[in-house]
Amino acid sequence: MAKNEVVIVDYGMGNLWSVASAIKFLGKTPVVTGDLSKISESETLILPGVGSFRRAMNTIRNQSIDKAIFDSLRNPKSKLLGICLGMQLLGASSTEDGLTAGLGLVQNEVVRLANSEIKPIKIPHVGFNKVQMSKESKLFDQISADASFYFVHSYAMQILNDTSKYTTTTYGHRFVAAIESGQVFGTQFHPEKSQKNGLKVLENFLR
Amino acid sequence: MLTKRLIFALLYDNGSFMLSRNFRLQKIGDLNWLEDNYGFSNVGYQIDELVVIDVSRQKRDSAKFCDALKQLTRDCFAPIAAGGGIKTLEHARELLRSGADKVVVNSALHDQPDLVENLASEFGRQCIVASVDTQKIDNSYRVFKYNGTVETAYSLDQFLLRCAGLPIGEIYLTSIDRDGTSNGLDFEMLEHVNHVKDLPLIIKGGIGNADHIVAGLAENRVDAVATAHLLNFMGNGLARARELAISGGINLPKF
Repeated sequence: MAKNEVVIVDYGMGNLWSVASAIKFLGKTPVVTGDLSKISESETLILPGVGSFRRAMNTIRNQSIDKAIFDSLRNPKSKLLGICLGMQLLGASSTEDGLTAGLGLVQNEVVRLANSEIKPIKIPHVGFNKVQMSKESKLFDQISADASFYFVHSYAMQILNDTSKYTTTTYGHRFVAAIESGQVFGTQFHPEKSQKNGLKVLENFLR
Repeated sequence: MLTKRLIFALLYDNGSFMLSRNFRLQKIGDLNWLEDNYGFSNVGYQIDELVVIDVSRQKRDSAKFCDALKQLTRDCFAPIAAGGGIKTLEHARELLRSGADKVVVNSALHDQPDLVENLASEFGRQCIVASVDTQKIDNSYRVFKYNGTVETAYSLDQFLLRCAGLPIGEIYLTSIDRDGTSNGLDFEMLEHVNHVKDLPLIIKGGIGNADHIVAGLAENRVDAVATAHLLNFMGNGLARARELAISGGINLPKF
């Protein structure tokens, strides 16, 4: 697969056009596809997602997209970015619509946003919010600490063990805003909808 | 801390963008006009979100609307909610494949609550923006449907209670009386939103200048304000409104 190509995994859910537009804007060639051989041969994958965790995982399993993603990641040069639901799918499980196993690429679990006893929050979490960036972050390289990113979600990935490994956001409680674990990256926010700062996150991922 | 939002709403009618006054539409210009006067690849940096509604009063051509949506969003990296006459899951899916992050439903709240359920189980409730149109009649806020043409049996309180029972992510509340008047937002209708106080609330109708935007965003119960007035904020009007709000202490993201 050509170096400049970025495969955007199409499993019927997600704002594919926006992700593709952002990739194009950054000078790469987006390939929106659900084709298993294209996915497994790709070195740069984006897993977008808007929707229910359970439904998404069912589709991904039924179409063997999970296996194609794992195949791609066997290549040490490959990398994967999950966006919004796409990041949650990387996790161990989610409680949305009943407990469902995820891809298990990271061990974190996804649960419904918890309300704060001190300051009640509205759910879903919709709008621009700041993040606390992980110190070793590649995704947030050269991004100002007071940058805001666009979130729209009712479920969130929980922090496991060492907080400093994660980029986090606090809304009600503190949760994972971005994850970077070897070849696997994820953002709970939509970088393709977060204006200049979001484009910079995507650019950092593609670098 | 979660920031508030300044939303620009576009009303689309068969290739044209419309100015609405009390829900009566007047054609203003096409995509080229919008590009000339707002430059959507740049306006993204002045707004927090774009709402694009197909308000075509004749037969809707959803493929054409999706094409317009794609053109609008090509280099606009801001959140987009789109809607207008959504009657099927597939219609919503097409919008989400054309640049939208969320879908706006209005008539479906009245006629097809099962569709709202289906949309939520497919795309998640955070994806569903519930648009409610209200008009004050004899001192009571009544809810209207079908582009404000038909009065329903519901008061605003009653209807929002009904909405609270549906899997929706946000309330997008428009004052028909104030729509397009530039007389300022209707804050009195906020006395009737208690049933949906756990959901993000967008209010619309009446914004004529930057001060109206600031006043709306300063309201505790309000998470976002929207204006659909195509002529009030031409050029850098939205950018100036944004600066005014931020300097006035409103918590908006800095891009």
